Amino acid sequence: MISIRRQLTRELIGAFFILLGGALAALYFAARDEIIEQFDDALRAKALAISSLTMPHDGEIRLDASDQFFRSFSKQRPLDFYEIWSPDNQVLARSESLSEANLSLPDKSLTRPRIWNLQLPDNRPGRALALRFSPEEGEHQELFPNLQLTLMVASDSEPLDEALQELLGIGCIAGVLLAGATGWLVSRVLKRGLQPLKDLADQAARINADSLTSRFPAAGLPAELQPIAGRLNELLARLEISFERERRFSADVAHELRTPLAELRTLMECALKWPEAREPATDREVLAIAAQMQAMVASLLALVRGEEQQLVAHLETVDLTKLTEDCWRPFAGRAVERTLMIIWEVATVQTLADPALLRSILGNLFENAVDYASAGGEIRIRIEGDARGVKLRVRNSTENLSMEDVAKMFDRFWRKEEARSGGKHFGLGLSLAKMFSQAMGWSLNAELDEQRRLEFVLSGPVSQPSAG
Amino acid sequence: MRVLVVEDSSRLQRTLGTALRKSGYAVDLAGDGDEALWLAESHDYDVIIMDIMLPKRDGLAVLGQLRAHGKTTHVLLLTARDTVPDRVRGLRAGADDYLVKPFALEELLARVDSLCRRAYGTKQAVITVSDLEIDTLGRHVRRCHKTVDLTAREYLLLEYLARRLGQVVTRSEIEEHIYDGQVDPMSNVVDSAICSLRKKLGEYGEAPLIHTRRGLGYVLDEVSATAATS
Repeated sequence: MISIRRQLTRELIGAFFILLGGALAALYFAARDEIIEQFDDALRAKALAISSLTMPHDGEIRLDASDQFFRSFSKQRPLDFYEIWSPDNQVLARSESLSEANLSLPDKSLTRPRIWNLQLPDNRPGRALALRFSPEEGEHQELFPNLQLTLMVASDSEPLDEALQELLGIGCIAGVLLAGATGWLVSRVLKRGLQPLKDLADQAARINADSLTSRFPAAGLPAELQPIAGRLNELLARLEISFERERRFSADVAHELRTPLAELRTLMECALKWPEAREPATDREVLAIAAQMQAMVASLLALVRGEEQQLVAHLETVDLTKLTEDCWRPFAGRAVERTLMIIWEVATVQTLADPALLRSILGNLFENAVDYASAGGEIRIRIEGDARGVKLRVRNSTENLSMEDVAKMFDRFWRKEEARSGGKHFGLGLSLAKMFSQAMGWSLNAELDEQRRLEFVLSGPVSQPSAG
Repeated sequence: MRVLVVEDSSRLQRTLGTALRKSGYAVDLAGDGDEALWLAESHDYDVIIMDIMLPKRDGLAVLGQLRAHGKTTHVLLLTARDTVPDRVRGLRAGADDYLVKPFALEELLARVDSLCRRAYGTKQAVITVSDLEIDTLGRHVRRCHKTVDLTAREYLLLEYLARRLGQVVTRSEIEEHIYDGQVDPMSNVVDSAICSLRKKLGEYGEAPLIHTRRGLGYVLDEVSATAATS
């Protein structure tokens, strides 16, 4: 599993090590060059001193310097060496430190001063400088006009090598210490920096179906995580609504089945306990309860299938006016019983719909209107159509509906309390009607006007007349 | 014992009414909260069986109103709501018992019987008066170890008198508790029933147990009253 913290730690430490290694190496080489340069400067100073002290004297070449100067060239403390050659390679002068040995010049044609590493006569490592020079003016300079002598100065370079080794050691120790400190620091900083992310993940891990009411506290989060927490909170809110709806639906299903089950059980227990009191109506009651439960299960199945997108509407051109009149016919008798006045305001309209689904929707709207219209009230059925679409309106007078009721009307199992009696309505019809209308690409809405008249508006497309 | 059944499902209401009447209760039926409140306030029921989700006024509101008006009638809530919070809410609203649908009829009858016994301050299922034994669970009556055959109404009357042992019970109280709303209050059904009951209890020649207090009512007691005994 990829860990952001581990990946960042690895990459940051790697990058820092490269930078640190480069910086230490650059520092080491700069310091090394500086130390060697200082050593070479010392060599040059010695060579300059020797060349300036070299002068002809009595037909010979002599070095006129104090013993103090030649202390490092002495036999007793042989740290420095020099040798002077004449143009014909005759040794004119040499340091006591050389004893019997000689310095050797690798390149006789010395056109310019040269510095190189070499092995000293006593086999120690050394560094040498060779140059050509003309002796200083003296009493008999005329005897050596344009005399070009060759001087080679060599010094013991062991202190130089030791200094360089020490520098390298210090660099390595500093590198190791810095690397350790960096690893610790990077880890700590990342841990602290990524803590809000970890907190967010921990909180998300604790969420389950029972804790969907909890929300991520976006206020205390870094700006980068706030959009994530915001989206997660929105997701949780949707999940909570969805879970609550499902929970309520399950509870409603159980609740709605309890009453017919109680009816059935009590009826049969009574018949068994007092067989002499059993009436022929008992069997019809049992059948009616079974039919009621069957109708409820059928409605529930239709709802579930609709929600699982298994509902497919087969659209075709439908004469909405004729279909509406057909659908109304079964309810006309009940409307007369309840002394309802029916107002028809119907235009002839063709539409695109699934006739079976449309019949089901209209049947539900008419049944509700006939059953719930206030006694002696009115029902208005209106069909209107233009180029933009068709609208079928079913309006009935009501007695005690409120705007809150209208808002909940399409919820599953919603019923106004009075509607419970009789076991005829389950509160699923309008949910189904809305689902069927959506499956056809139609819409179904409910409105309550100021005169407390409830109107359902079913809107759909108009059928385009075929060419020719 | 008189019971009020408040249930909006007409089928369940009818069946419960039949079952309770068959079990010897006088039963009144109501289909909505307003009717239930009116009946409960105007009659002295022994037990009210009430659904919660009712048209017009829900069962808890009816219960709240009854308790607010000082009615202590025992109420059994009979509902499809089965969650613990629902039960707690119902019992805290003043209900004496709670039964969830669907239910066993025998259990409902046993609970109603239990509430009736509690209404008269006794937990005993068998009431003994001298040589008379009344088994309120089995609804059997024995005198001198011999079974006495009584009609449901006669049994109900005897049980009511036995539960009020030693107390004078007025005719109107008997009408209130033994007869449902279908009985004409001006009729002499109470006197007829008492007469019939006395006859059946005394058919073996034992001492009379039901005594008349003239102008007051009747009393069931072992000791014969010296005055005004008919």
